[in-house]
Amino acid sequence: MEAILDFWAAYSATIAFGLVNSFIALSCYAVLSAGVLSFTTVMFAAVGGFVAAQMIGMFALPPLVAFLFAGVAGGVAAAVIAVIFLRLETHWMALASLALVLITRVVVLNTPTLTGGVQGMLVPVRVSVLELFLALAVTAFVFYRMHNSWYGLVSRAVREDPSVASTMGISTYRVQFIAFLISGAVGGIGGAALATTLQFISADTYFLALAFTMIASTVLGGSFHWFGPIVGAFVFTALPTTMQAVLPEIQDVAKGVVLLVIMILLPRGLVDPRVLKLRLSRSPKTAEQPDA
Amino acid sequence: MQLFLEQLVNGIALGSLYGLFGIGFGLVFATLGILNTAHGAYASWAAIIGYFAVVWYDVSFPVAIAVGVIGGGVLAILVDQIGFQPLRNRKTGMLGALITSIAFLIILDSLAGMATNHQSWAFPSRTYPRGMLDLGFMRIPYMQLIIIGAMVFCAAGIYLLIQKTRIGAAMRAVGWNAEAASLGGVNARMVILLTAFLAGATSGLAGVLGGAATSNISYMLGEGLLLKGFAAVVVGGYDDVRGTVLAGILLGICEVFIAQYLSTTFRDGFTYILLLTFLVMRPRGIFGSGNFMRA
Repeated sequence: MEAILDFWAAYSATIAFGLVNSFIALSCYAVLSAGVLSFTTVMFAAVGGFVAAQMIGMFALPPLVAFLFAGVAGGVAAAVIAVIFLRLETHWMALASLALVLITRVVVLNTPTLTGGVQGMLVPVRVSVLELFLALAVTAFVFYRMHNSWYGLVSRAVREDPSVASTMGISTYRVQFIAFLISGAVGGIGGAALATTLQFISADTYFLALAFTMIASTVLGGSFHWFGPIVGAFVFTALPTTMQAVLPEIQDVAKGVVLLVIMILLPRGLVDPRVLKLRLSRSPKTAEQPDA
Repeated sequence: MQLFLEQLVNGIALGSLYGLFGIGFGLVFATLGILNTAHGAYASWAAIIGYFAVVWYDVSFPVAIAVGVIGGGVLAILVDQIGFQPLRNRKTGMLGALITSIAFLIILDSLAGMATNHQSWAFPSRTYPRGMLDLGFMRIPYMQLIIIGAMVFCAAGIYLLIQKTRIGAAMRAVGWNAEAASLGGVNARMVILLTAFLAGATSGLAGVLGGAATSNISYMLGEGLLLKGFAAVVVGGYDDVRGTVLAGILLGICEVFIAQYLSTTFRDGFTYILLLTFLVMRPRGIFGSGNFMRA
């Protein structure tokens, strides 16, 4: 029992941030799984974070209620962005979304009445790990249901080959627009979760570091299944802590090297449904059949 | 009037740095399809290597520039061969290389932080040209002339290389479709190495010159250049050297004039407002043309 308490005292912060980063990574996965590489999640997170912070500040809402508002606000922001971005070709969209991250920071800095400007904002409420876990469980359940739905199927088709998908009568635009809406809602919730975990947000909270954490978590964990980003977020969040225990002087370098090695060895990420399927098909029952 | 002209030259020099840096970023993106977030780290490291060459071996400034440029190019080749090459055959698209480039960004930046003790250094004042060219009606620092000259030389050279030579044709072919280019007899590996080296070398040149001109050599040097160089690439269009250079200079001039005549708080804001406007109004950049590739 004492060991569990010790573990909790030492690592509860890491677990909380792992949960928060899971939301952000899932938001990135939502668009990625429809074939869109986009950093816009950072902007949705900023919208969600500041909306939640303002709501909590003004109406003293409990965190989970504020999460709902943040999700709606993120979704609305995503709808606007999607209309602009879906006109762009893939390469341009990646560049444009990165530019949007830079623009978000400037906007946050220059609207002090909404965001506190340079000073940033204090968030008076702290979300508990249990609440974060519950919110993530609900979100993950939604992703699980989506994975096995019409939407999950067509989004995989659009990702693999948009031309073939549209030949089959799938509207690429519609699928990617829905993907953006989901990304916006989950990103908004993630931003609010980050705000209520850090209890202080500023323009630098939602900036390049978050963009890189997000994309690295998603791809590290595996961007072909909804469980991948969650695994990736926990691994990527725990890396610095682990490295600090092992190699305190060069913990950042070690973190980069681990990321590099995992990506080179497992370019499809830690959770890869294709590998699982191959392994299942090699089980004794089917072992005698020749490879298809 | 004198102030106006001097600020104009200031802006062009600053913009030349952005353009010089952006050329390599755009070249790698267009030819190799890699969104290289570690591009700024080449500039930081080139400046740091140049600084060490000056301080330890007491070399002259041109030698320091050469050392920095070659260092940047070699570093870029190393990053490419370690981080990007293993992913090329596995069809991970833009994603895999993006993540390994983030890994290198983390590694190279923290190593650069250690190498400089997280401080900002400057070239010793006797080691680089500090004088001014006196034209009578205005004075221009030699460093700014060197920066503008270097940018014009590199931009013209790379533009001609890409548009007029066989190697350039091979680079464009690999950028369009690497497999088809290989089938057509293009040595893709040579193109990859050359592109990586050119990108690292121009980034390194921007790093050394920028580090000398602003007396700021630190692990943060590359990040500043990356943000502005990136803006230049988006505004100018990533597949055209001319656009990147023009957009870089435009950004530089705007920044200097806004800081001079309006307010320094709008300085960065304006860059990104310009960026947003271009993204919405003209998403393919200044010289961007239609894309004939089907989805």
